[in-house]
Amino acid sequence: MLLLDIKCEKYSLPNGLEVILHKNNSFPLVAVNLWYKVGSAQEEKGKTGLAHLFEHMMFQGSEHVPKEMHFKLIQEAGGTLNGSTSFDRTNYFEKLPSNELELALWLESDRMGFLLNSLDQDKLDNQKNVVYNERLERYDNQPYGLAWEILISNLYPEGHPYSWSTIGYLNDIKNYNLEDVKNFFRKYYSPNNASLVVAGDFDLNTAKNLIAKYFESIQSNSKVKHISTAEGKLKSSKKITHHDNVQLERLYLAWHTVRAFQEDDSSLDILSDILAGSKNSRLYKKLVFELEIAQDIYAMQFSGRYAGHFMIVATAKPGKSLEQINNAIEAEIESIINNGITKRELQKSKNGIKSSFIYSLQNLDTLADHLNLYNFYFGKPNSFMFDLERYNSINENDVEHAAAKYLKANCVELSIVPKGKNGS
Amino acid sequence: MEVRRDKRPATGNEIKFSLPGHIKHSLKNGAEIYLVKKTDLPIARINFIINSGSKFDPKSKYGLSNLTAMCIDEGAGELDALQLSDEFDYLGAHFSVHSDSDITILSLQTLSENFNTALNLLSSVILSPHFKENDFLREKRKVQTRIEQLKDEPDYIANSAFEFFLFGKQNPYAFPVIGINDALNGIEISDVKEFYKSFFNPQNTSIVAVGNFEDEKLISRIESTFQDWIKGNNFSMEFPTGRKKDPKICVIHKQDAVQTEIRIGHLSEIRNDKDYFQKQLLNLILGGQFSSRLNLNLREKHGYTYGISSRFNYLKNDAYFSVSTSVNTENTLGATDEILNELTKVREGITEEELAFAKSSISRRFPLNFETYSQTASNFSSKIIHNLADDYFETFLSKILNVEIEDVNTVAAKSIVPDSALIVLCGDEKKILEQINSLSFSEVAVVNYDQIYSG
Repeated sequence: MLLLDIKCEKYSLPNGLEVILHKNNSFPLVAVNLWYKVGSAQEEKGKTGLAHLFEHMMFQGSEHVPKEMHFKLIQEAGGTLNGSTSFDRTNYFEKLPSNELELALWLESDRMGFLLNSLDQDKLDNQKNVVYNERLERYDNQPYGLAWEILISNLYPEGHPYSWSTIGYLNDIKNYNLEDVKNFFRKYYSPNNASLVVAGDFDLNTAKNLIAKYFESIQSNSKVKHISTAEGKLKSSKKITHHDNVQLERLYLAWHTVRAFQEDDSSLDILSDILAGSKNSRLYKKLVFELEIAQDIYAMQFSGRYAGHFMIVATAKPGKSLEQINNAIEAEIESIINNGITKRELQKSKNGIKSSFIYSLQNLDTLADHLNLYNFYFGKPNSFMFDLERYNSINENDVEHAAAKYLKANCVELSIVPKGKNGS
Repeated sequence: MEVRRDKRPATGNEIKFSLPGHIKHSLKNGAEIYLVKKTDLPIARINFIINSGSKFDPKSKYGLSNLTAMCIDEGAGELDALQLSDEFDYLGAHFSVHSDSDITILSLQTLSENFNTALNLLSSVILSPHFKENDFLREKRKVQTRIEQLKDEPDYIANSAFEFFLFGKQNPYAFPVIGINDALNGIEISDVKEFYKSFFNPQNTSIVAVGNFEDEKLISRIESTFQDWIKGNNFSMEFPTGRKKDPKICVIHKQDAVQTEIRIGHLSEIRNDKDYFQKQLLNLILGGQFSSRLNLNLREKHGYTYGISSRFNYLKNDAYFSVSTSVNTENTLGATDEILNELTKVREGITEEELAFAKSSISRRFPLNFETYSQTASNFSSKIIHNLADDYFETFLSKILNVEIEDVNTVAAKSIVPDSALIVLCGDEKKILEQINSLSFSEVAVVNYDQIYSG
């Protein structure tokens, strides 16, 4: 599909920084998207949450940019900006009117090359409080908010890079000192551990010159050593019950699967859609629509650089038991394994995936982030067509096979139940 | 190469941005349509905006408009509920029905190649929904369960309680869009059918289509598809505005909460051309973005919160100003004090520098509002919902840039009124009360959320 052939020019600066340029002059906007190849997976036990806390510190100003000015300058220019941290990477991005490309490059290069001298204890203490509140707001004070953390810490063995959540544990967040933060920067925030995407409305030569001007003189550290993939399968199934301030019981099921872009990854994506991706999907239809034992249900294949897992999550209707729900889910999985899926179900999923690829091109931020994602995994930013083909090439057998191979193995079964009630 | 890092780089040449071309047309059946030209991708988007939000719910039937919106796509034309949704999905279309306090929007996004087929499905939803008893009962049970579930969510409790106490129970905006369970118990399928019959008519509907259409063709297509749509009334509503309320603190207990959700605000003037732009600039400075006074104070200085924002909320028939945040329980008083301080301080005026920042930010961001198909559609939809002037987008920039600092300061002194603010605090009641006893407020009410709508 021609539309998904997102033409890019890719090269590296002498210091190792990868540069990816995608020009599209249809709208007067430019997106700058920078990936540092470090996420919470690189953290150690007792030091969780550092990658994310560090992301906050990157917005606290750098040697030539006073605190608060990073946000202010971009917003004054009519742009939007943010950053995010996942298991595998940390990204920073801004989208601006195209006549402000240089502003974004100046700001990004200043915090890549000149952050350390501007860090101080006050800034760190302040952002530790902010992150503490972020954790409270998004996890501890949310219904079912601790489920993810409980789930992954049981699914992955102790010490596995995905066994703690990106936000980190409260005690770890509280204990960070300035030296931890500075060491993290020295170790991971180096041009040879990053890739820079510029996408949108710009002139190629101008952009190349500006990138050289701002980034070339930044020194790289020694090459970052990446952790080796930690294996770890469940030796037996686990059942866990957690009491929370909720009205309705909720069931979380998780199975080990495969890493991102590995064989079966796309079959599992399609399986999740056929199970729970729409009103007429297998599980939604049976549990929510027909039996009305669940209020909601969803399924997903989560996959990253070091591991992957498949999850099914269902909230029980009042008075309905998680056991009933679990049995009904099991029966639907069995039915897929034994009786297969229909041509139409498969085609429906493929149609939805194809459309969402095209819808995703609307937003320049999303596009730029995808270029970095593909570069991260394959070294080839223009991999949209390759990625779509991963789905188009799947047949009915692949989906049935994936269900049989992964969803019959050992699993973690987490029940979140209202306080004062016994687990089912 | 010489690099000057100590100075912000200069801005390049002025960008070229032109508004998407659009025409407004009245269909023969009475509905208005905006056709907006967007050609960068093979995508089409259409919104049907029905003037039928929850403010029209009859007393004792709170939740009726939302339930109608939930039932309308549970089977239509030749297709039952599951078949209908399956057909949309098979086309890779995104179809949704969403109801708020003023309107119901049916929106559809598809690849251009599937637009006609998907539009046929959408028209059957609007013209011939089944409203079968079993579908109705299932959707009703789903809503009732959802209402129970929402009681787990502290931000939802704070928002809905704030709106209830702010508007007062004589005002339809006081009640949640989703409804209340006592009222839902009494809603029957005949109510839903009646509500649909009254409100879903061409006189009460506007359409926004964004894509690479041949205008004439799309218009005649919609004309013929909707030619038998039965005419009806355009609905409107008015309530008294400008009411003054006594200041008040409401504390709502949330078991084991580790944060307090804070809402502070008051009623405000309905949206109007006289002060809209001044208020947008003012709010940007006060709490409308990351480097606002409120966020720099409560987040970047004190570390009380992950984020704080303020806004003027414009409903069609009323408006209010509010500040929202959540803070760790121990800082409830500190945060409340700081918010009130900032509200008091902004009444004394803003600086020229702040105004220049706000003007620059809003005006230079303007093109970004038209980047995606859904953003473009929602901008034109809001033009309809708020009945904005035909040249609203064309004159937007000059109206922002022409605002004077005196205008903003006058509006600040008049429109930000901390002395009559309603404060809602949702969290650990005991720990909150220990702190706010030292605040001098005329009334502190401890409220049980389960009972606010009864009585």
